[in-house]
Amino acid sequence: MADRRSFVVVGASLCGATAVATLRDQGFEGRIVLIGGEDVAPYERPPLSKGYLRGEDTLEQILVRPDPWYREQDVETRFGTLVTRLDVDERAVVLAGGERLSFDSLLVATGGRNRQIGAPGAALPGVIDLRDLHDADAIRDAVQGGVRVVCVGMGFIGAEVAASLRTLGCEVTVVEIFETTLFRVLGGDIGRVLESIHRDNGVTMYFNDVVERFEGDGKLEHVVTKGGRSIEADVAIVGVGTEPVVELMAGTGLDQAGGIPVDPSLRTAIPGVFAAGDVARHDHPVFGPMRIEHFDNAIKMGAAAARGMLGRPEVFDDPHWFWSDQYDVQIQMAGFAPTWDRMIVRGSLEDRSFCAFLLDAAGALRSAVSIAWPRDVRRSFELIRRQIHPDPAALADPSVDLRTLVPDEG
Amino acid sequence: MAEFVSVGRSDEVAEGEAKAFDVGGQEIGVSRVDGTLYAFSDICTHRRCNLSMGGEIEGTAITCECHGSTFDMATGQVLAEPATEPIATFPVRDQDGDLQIEI
Repeated sequence: MADRRSFVVVGASLCGATAVATLRDQGFEGRIVLIGGEDVAPYERPPLSKGYLRGEDTLEQILVRPDPWYREQDVETRFGTLVTRLDVDERAVVLAGGERLSFDSLLVATGGRNRQIGAPGAALPGVIDLRDLHDADAIRDAVQGGVRVVCVGMGFIGAEVAASLRTLGCEVTVVEIFETTLFRVLGGDIGRVLESIHRDNGVTMYFNDVVERFEGDGKLEHVVTKGGRSIEADVAIVGVGTEPVVELMAGTGLDQAGGIPVDPSLRTAIPGVFAAGDVARHDHPVFGPMRIEHFDNAIKMGAAAARGMLGRPEVFDDPHWFWSDQYDVQIQMAGFAPTWDRMIVRGSLEDRSFCAFLLDAAGALRSAVSIAWPRDVRRSFELIRRQIHPDPAALADPSVDLRTLVPDEG
Repeated sequence: MAEFVSVGRSDEVAEGEAKAFDVGGQEIGVSRVDGTLYAFSDICTHRRCNLSMGGEIEGTAITCECHGSTFDMATGQVLAEPATEPIATFPVRDQDGDLQIEI
């Protein structure tokens, strides 16, 4: 008999769209409602700091599914709609305006929002943060003619925006709290490789410094740092991290600052309610509880959560993978290693062509990071997922196929 | 009319690897898996990366190096997103060492 249950997905995002596509792919014939706060069909966010920002990609090209797909697949969409409340007892979500939508199963994929910098002057015209299409459009409009830009924060968003805006001819200065680019994710050695790439491309970088205030008469004119610098600027792009959008879970105890807690199979403590993507604090079987903001994870978790809604929950043990494009350089990373004990390099940091393997104290491979060496990141997946302790000499030797280091399962 | 055209020598395609050939302006990837040849559009339908450039092959699946889209080289079907559109596939044969694709 056909499954006629009613599923609601909150979050018209890559994660949410992948979930509804998976439900239909798996033959689910019941009601699906996809709700999102933005007034547009789900789109991929990575191009917002790259191709879309530079004017190379159009909105149509970055949509997760073409506009008509939702109607063709009988997916009810409520774009531009806010969900104000989850009614656990009645198993319904309440929309702004009061409409109630009841569900048999719910996926919360509400994602993240940008952390606010909180410095005086942050509301001045010219101070922009990048999260959605409108932000990308605003940046594109503001940088016409190659203006002076300060990137606040040199994480992945800051680094990609800096690269894109250099490519567009802007003068780019960076203010970063840590000692080098991407320090918190990649550590000093690899971070400094990226730093050198940005320097070669003409970016001025100030490290170990933070913004104290934004100054200007009616619009941004100077970015003033705690270190005493006053940097002339027409535009400042603030990229200082994100926080999960958990308000929907108010009153359930699951609206936690670190994300909505879910078990290894993406289930919340409320029966039939799942969370996935950037908003989920996932109890990962290898890495432990973590919240991750990767593109690939949004796809894979969305699909896994959909299978869970259909009654086929699975332990989500993906080793995590992402990429970042800066200038003509692609960085890839697999795994998760907030700290590590030992780094083994295959290739050469100096030549900007390498795969670096991060091992914990016990010798287990936790993460692999590459520049211009992506194949071995992909070939690390199984080693990471199964917490293999590879021979360091084999990791360092480019002639060793990493797949041969995976023992036969069983 | 579709016809088989010679694109190169079949020994240019090693076991477990893929190589791109320009066939009248179309980039066609050819791979060899367990001795069997597969020919497919080399352009990923997600962001137009070349699949043969570093694409990881496992069975008849090839995974795009850029963003992880995975296709079945035999059928063109998407096996893993972000791509949602299949790639074209083409008949391919080895005529006494001459690699031929029907296009």
